[in-house]
Amino acid sequence: MAEISWPWQYNFPPFFTIQPHTETRSKQLEAWEQLITDYLKATKQSTIDIREASNTPLFNNIEINRKLSQEAILTILEDMAKAGKAAPIDKSKNVWEVYWHSLDEWGNMIYNWACNNGFNNSVCTLFELREGDNTADQEFHNLDMNVLVKALKSLEAKGRCELMEFDDNQGVKFF
Amino acid sequence: MRRRAGVGAIQKHRLEQEKYKEKGTEIQENQFQQMSKQLEVFRENLEDFASKHKSEIKKNAQFRRQFQEMCAAIGVDPLASGKGFWSVLGIGDFYYELGVQIVEVCLATNYKNGGLITLEELRSRLIASRGRAKKHQDITNEDLLAAVKKLRIFGNGFTVVPISKGKWLVQSVPGELNMDQTLVLQKASGLGTAWVSVSVLTSDLGWTEIRAENALNHMVREGLAWVDSQEPKETLYWFPSMFAECVSA
Repeated sequence: MAEISWPWQYNFPPFFTIQPHTETRSKQLEAWEQLITDYLKATKQSTIDIREASNTPLFNNIEINRKLSQEAILTILEDMAKAGKAAPIDKSKNVWEVYWHSLDEWGNMIYNWACNNGFNNSVCTLFELREGDNTADQEFHNLDMNVLVKALKSLEAKGRCELMEFDDNQGVKFF
Repeated sequence: MRRRAGVGAIQKHRLEQEKYKEKGTEIQENQFQQMSKQLEVFRENLEDFASKHKSEIKKNAQFRRQFQEMCAAIGVDPLASGKGFWSVLGIGDFYYELGVQIVEVCLATNYKNGGLITLEELRSRLIASRGRAKKHQDITNEDLLAAVKKLRIFGNGFTVVPISKGKWLVQSVPGELNMDQTLVLQKASGLGTAWVSVSVLTSDLGWTEIRAENALNHMVREGLAWVDSQEPKETLYWFPSMFAECVSA
């Protein structure tokens, strides 16, 4: 796992209790959102399952014996959702996708890559995009499949690509 | 035969008294004149001294402090006014400049400490943001305190809260701390934990629970304290301004 540079708040015990004072809370949520994004980015993850998340080092600082409760995690994720930085996947809001780039940004990033590498008017499989040697140095390499599809769909809506399915495989054609 | 006191004797006595009195006021006046002359000379010398050592006063922190002490001892405040003789010396300018920098540091760290900062942190941040030259680096706590006191003319937005001997907090949010809240800060600083709790206040300061809760809740509402409800025993109230990792962050 990549080294995380924990912010000072991570060792500040009350950081793990949602603050009652509005202004303090907004500072707290902002710091959490930054930390969550950085953490997921460093560990190449895109989803958080609230039911299990309380035990990951992100939300559980064993050294100071403090952890974020499920309700607190939900509060933070809902706040992130307001800014389009996260979205619940299931109806009970247990599993969340977190976007360290917005879907639009991901879409543009992939499209730029495709243009720069001469993939216009040709078809790539999603497998190639995620795990191919061509994308090894790209930020979207190994991106969560669901996020990748959503990003491409946002690109599709702009008329820059078309998603297609053949056999068991999904592909995309860039324009 | 017994002689009674004559009129002459009484008059003589009165005359003597009057002469004594006269002599007394004469001496007094003399002394007063001499004193004020001395003081005048002293003031002149002091002003001479100040203008001669103007640059030294700006550069050298120890010299500056001694000069300040000397001024205070004879009741002269070189910062009192931007007008008049002392403004020529530009000693005030040094502190006005410092004042502006203090405001900047306070605003820049407000997002994490809620507007409460220890004098040490303020000083190290200030020094870091000032020029590298020795004269910019040489800022003492006394300089900072003098500058913050000058900021008071802007209202109660900037106040110094004494915590313990040689330790201060600078508060940069409007709203004065009352006696109880000051005591809470002193306690938190004295314990060195950066937190206090109701039980600490009731046992150490002899407060009732309600009094402790009131003080603490008020500080949470002011954004000065953070609530930590995960200690099994009781709720802890933390002050980021005293939390070492926050200070160095």
